[in-house]
Amino acid sequence: MTSGTGPIPKISLQNITKRFTVRPSKDNPDGAVLTALDGISLDVSAGEFITLVGPSGSGKTTLLDLLAGLTKPDSGKVLVDGREVAGPGRDRAVVFQQYALFPWRTAAANVSFGLEGAGSDGKRYTRKERAEKAREYLGLVGLGGFEDRYPHELSGGMKQRVAIARSLAYEPDILLMDEPFAALDAQTREQLQTELLRIWATTGKTIIFITHGIDEAVYLGQRVAVLSSRPGRLKEIVDIDLGDRSGDEDVRSNPAFVEHRHKVWSLLHDEVRRAQAAGHAKIQPDGTAPDETRTITTGKAA
Amino acid sequence: MSTPTLTKETETRPGPAATAGDAAKEWNPALRPGSGKTPAARLRLYARQGGNAVWGAGAIILFLLLWELGPTYLAPASTRVFLPPLHVVLEALGTLIANGQLQNHLAASLSRSASGFGIAVVSAVALGLLVAWYGALDRFLNPLLEVFRNTAALALLPVFTLLLGIGETSKISIVAYAAFFPVLLNTIAGVRTVDPLLIRAARSLGLSNFQLFQKVILPSAVPTIFTGIRMAGTSSILVLIAAEMVGAKAGLGYLIVNSQMSFLIPDMYAGILTVSLLGLLVNYLLVGVERHFSRWRTAVGSRTA
Ligand SMILES: Nc1ncnc2c1ncn2[C@@H]1O[C@H](COP(=O)(O)OP(=O)(O)OP(=O)(O)O)[C@@H](O)[C@H]1O
Ligand SMILES: [Mg+2]
Repeated sequence: MTSGTGPIPKISLQNITKRFTVRPSKDNPDGAVLTALDGISLDVSAGEFITLVGPSGSGKTTLLDLLAGLTKPDSGKVLVDGREVAGPGRDRAVVFQQYALFPWRTAAANVSFGLEGAGSDGKRYTRKERAEKAREYLGLVGLGGFEDRYPHELSGGMKQRVAIARSLAYEPDILLMDEPFAALDAQTREQLQTELLRIWATTGKTIIFITHGIDEAVYLGQRVAVLSSRPGRLKEIVDIDLGDRSGDEDVRSNPAFVEHRHKVWSLLHDEVRRAQAAGHAKIQPDGTAPDETRTITTGKAA
Repeated sequence: MSTPTLTKETETRPGPAATAGDAAKEWNPALRPGSGKTPAARLRLYARQGGNAVWGAGAIILFLLLWELGPTYLAPASTRVFLPPLHVVLEALGTLIANGQLQNHLAASLSRSASGFGIAVVSAVALGLLVAWYGALDRFLNPLLEVFRNTAALALLPVFTLLLGIGETSKISIVAYAAFFPVLLNTIAGVRTVDPLLIRAARSLGLSNFQLFQKVILPSAVPTIFTGIRMAGTSSILVLIAAEMVGAKAGLGYLIVNSQMSFLIPDMYAGILTVSLLGLLVNYLLVGVERHFSRWRTAVGSRTA
């Protein structure tokens, strides 16, 4: 729960603004400038698990791209370990919603993808070491024995495990996850959530986890950052204190959980309504996501 | 049958990694086709496969029967001369093989199409990669490429003959020309259709432009490129035969036309038969290569039986 006081934070966003120029269309022939993120400041300390929620189009993915070094902010600074992010680096790994596995590579070859070539420290892995690492990390995500499978031979949950193993394999300090479990069924999702917490506890990574599920955000995060609808501003950060989560009891029915969940829900409520009015219907205040079932229930908020 | 349930089980098992690993090992053999079937079931499977084979070959067998019997019993005598029954053609084919003529013609055709095809594949893949990678080059070249692509190769045959003579050069060139465009266009399409998410993933792993090209764009484009190569293989034979019919002293196209003019009708059909067998063979080989390189794409390539 220590927010960035004292030593330099692991990640520091300082007054980030990101704009996109929209291509000219029939409606506005000159094109327009769209502000996706507006004045975001956030410190994340080492080893922290922070979740990020916000209506569709609030700029969550944009924020993640900035952290990953895939894009640059228009103003403000993204600092990792006190240094400005210049591009992608092996200290950060991204897990995407749609798995993003290389279909022509086996599970093991996907996991070892990031280990090919020289690392930032100039270290090179031999073929054997890479295979060893791949086996190790596939084991860590519960996929031992699946090394030689191609992605099309794996289920969605397995693919996402491979993607997680791939991002862990080159041992980044920071895991950036963009709605990684959104496409999975409820049981698989819950199971992967538990495993992610276990991996987090054993490896001590700093994790930034984007989700559109309020339950997921409250269950996983030590803090939940709520973004406003476009342009994305940091609306509030909710500290989550669920006590000891390692027990067998159902955390989700714990009164503290319900209370936190309600708090995040209320914060999102207005934003979601506003986003829906603007034509998005991705996230419902009750935490369900209609786009998963493809039943759009606009205006049914509250 | 049991595969999906086992997948589920392995996947939803919360336990430690070792457990899932064991389940995976149990699972592997189940994937092998044919295992775990009773002998009777296997027999039924073979019977069905045999039946399918007969049914699949039925049309061909009927056609050959018609070819054999039709000229003798159905056609008027005047036509029979121009359409000899199958066994006469096969005899002619046997003679051509025995005296080595067929091999000579085949060798001539093969060496021409192989060189033309090879030149086309190498240059078209290289140019295609360049064009797809450099957008400016694409915008510059695309209109011209469209014009050439839509000009039938055979329409240019007289030009090739005028400029390059009737020797090997003109034939190899026209084959290369015909094979060039399918490969080029498919290479460009293959590079274009790389999943942008994969590019993002690779970039987030810190790949340089060159590595991105080598490790993501190229492998992902390979199946599409091979589709182009297969199409090129077919069209290179087609164009070559036509070119050999116009001006050549050897080759299957020459054999066909020369036999016709010398009124050696069975020899002519023997040449045609060789051409279609060659086409089939080439296509079969190229389909195999294509499938080999796209086996990761979907389950279709790895489908058994
Ligand atoms: N490359 C781009 N060019 C133009 N506009 C963009 C671009 N990328 C994102 N945007 C816009 O920026 C806004 C924020 O997009 P972003 O993808 O970050 O939203 P998000 O919060 O991740 O939404 P979701 O929950 O639906 O994934 C959107 O309105 C989107 O249309
Ligand atoms: Mg997003």
